[in-house]
Amino acid sequence: MSGLKLWKFWQHVQLIVILIGAAIMIIPIIWIFMAAFKTHVDVYQLKIWFRPTLENFAVVFDPPYYLWDKLINSTIVATVTVLIAIPVATCASYSFSRFRLRGETVMLVMILATQFVPAVVIILPFFVMFRDISLLDTRTGLVLVNLAIVMPFAIWMIKGFIDGIPLDTEEAALVDGSSRIQVIKNIVLPMAAPGLITSGIFCFIIAWNEFLFALILTNKHSVTLPIGLALFKAEEGDLWNLLSAAGIIIMVPMFVLALIIRKHFVQGMTMGAVR
Amino acid sequence: MGTTVPAHFFHLPILKVRDHVLKYLLVLPAVVVVFATAIWPLIRSLVLSFYQGRLTRPGFPQGFLGWDNYHWALFEEPAFWNSVLVTTVYSVLTVGLTVIIALGFALLLAPGGRFRMSVQTLLILPFAMSPALIGVSFRFMFNPEFGLFDAFFGFLIPPLADISWLADPQLAFAVCVMADVWGWIPFLTLVLIGGLGAIPRDSLEAAQVDGANGWQVFKDVTLPQLGPVLAVVIILKSIFSIKTFDQVYMLTNGGPGTATQTLSHYIYFNGMKYGQIGYSASAAWLMVIPMIFLTYAYAKLVFRKNKQ
Repeated sequence: MSGLKLWKFWQHVQLIVILIGAAIMIIPIIWIFMAAFKTHVDVYQLKIWFRPTLENFAVVFDPPYYLWDKLINSTIVATVTVLIAIPVATCASYSFSRFRLRGETVMLVMILATQFVPAVVIILPFFVMFRDISLLDTRTGLVLVNLAIVMPFAIWMIKGFIDGIPLDTEEAALVDGSSRIQVIKNIVLPMAAPGLITSGIFCFIIAWNEFLFALILTNKHSVTLPIGLALFKAEEGDLWNLLSAAGIIIMVPMFVLALIIRKHFVQGMTMGAVR
Repeated sequence: MGTTVPAHFFHLPILKVRDHVLKYLLVLPAVVVVFATAIWPLIRSLVLSFYQGRLTRPGFPQGFLGWDNYHWALFEEPAFWNSVLVTTVYSVLTVGLTVIIALGFALLLAPGGRFRMSVQTLLILPFAMSPALIGVSFRFMFNPEFGLFDAFFGFLIPPLADISWLADPQLAFAVCVMADVWGWIPFLTLVLIGGLGAIPRDSLEAAQVDGANGWQVFKDVTLPQLGPVLAVVIILKSIFSIKTFDQVYMLTNGGPGTATQTLSHYIYFNGMKYGQIGYSASAAWLMVIPMIFLTYAYAKLVFRKNKQ
């Protein structure tokens, strides 16, 4: 009986530790949410009860902050990055998954390795080159460098999904006289579609949150949301209510997307090392 | 007729020839993109690291310097070694703390059930946050006048009550570490929960039947079986810790002084603020070297997993 009591006690301890851990994880996020609806005065007091206002959201879209422009830049850059990365990665992943290629391992390791190259190393030559061909502060330039961080994830993730599609249907169609292109179009793509969407969302989140490239390459016209956070500084210090409102605009769409693909998040990030 | 030849007898050889070309055509765009966006800049950085490359002067890059940039970084520039030290301590602390706390959290959450599953779902959120935003949040949390964590620590440890965290070198460093650990625990926890789920139940039950207590089961069964996943997690986290830039830039911008200046930040500062592209490329390549070893180790793990 005492064993059971001890077990029950242990269960309660576990629950409490989990609750504390979850609280530590979630409270900073809640705090930002609250601050976004507080007035300037309320932020500067540790108030839990306050009269919520939507004013901050109106202010951040107005001059001089123009968050709307940044939102559009972020959306376009992340979308175009994904629209280029996913088709290119799908073709390559299919080939890696279904055929033996000369130098296949070397290529896959190279692709994996590029993900681990520090972004500062990549950006130095790009900055110099973009300066010469006037791509600095353009969305095109940002899309190009974003491909560097997104492609390896996309290829490895989609390869994982295509590896999971059974070969039988494909082989049957080939035997029936379909060409390889038809097989890819009519069989592989429909079956891989959920995986492609998942990979696309994953890459969208990465491109949306990207910071260092945008910090170095943009200064006025193509500033993205994470860089826009730096705007909310005044002489008296950071404008926390506005910062929080901007923070919500950055993170809430990503929360939604991340929850949609939550089952595949881990696999994507570890590039198939953990399934 | 009995002499009907199977259809694939005619079609397959032709298709195989086509496939032979097609399979390379399919990878070509990806190889071009990866080469142009990652491998070319890497090589170009290496070349630039042997030149004097000042953005502010006409003609770029200006002149071949040989090993001078590397010599300068390694022997003449204490700030470089400071950033190496900061990055090393930062990486050791963040990797160690994140992995240990995440392992504990994963063990607590792995049994499942509705409550634990909803906490697991919540864990996705911090990881979907932009690291830059995490940096901003922690600057907010540790604001000396109205920061929530500042108030909390001040309540727990009264001497910390009136301290301006980000103005003190050690405390600013500690806040950077906390922000990083906070941002990465959820992801590592989810990976480790996956790893724990893959351990066969029989081996756990067999150990329990043999009378092993909880700690013994963990030490003799769980931990060895979790080994490969732990290795993946440690290498991945090390790589991201060494690369750290976004959070630190938003949180302290390397300060106060250079107390939290990581290698990435040092390279960014020399390249972009002082316009010394050649020199910062050499510092960047000194940073690539440990990455090569870690990537090699990671690639070995990935390929072993994929062969199984």
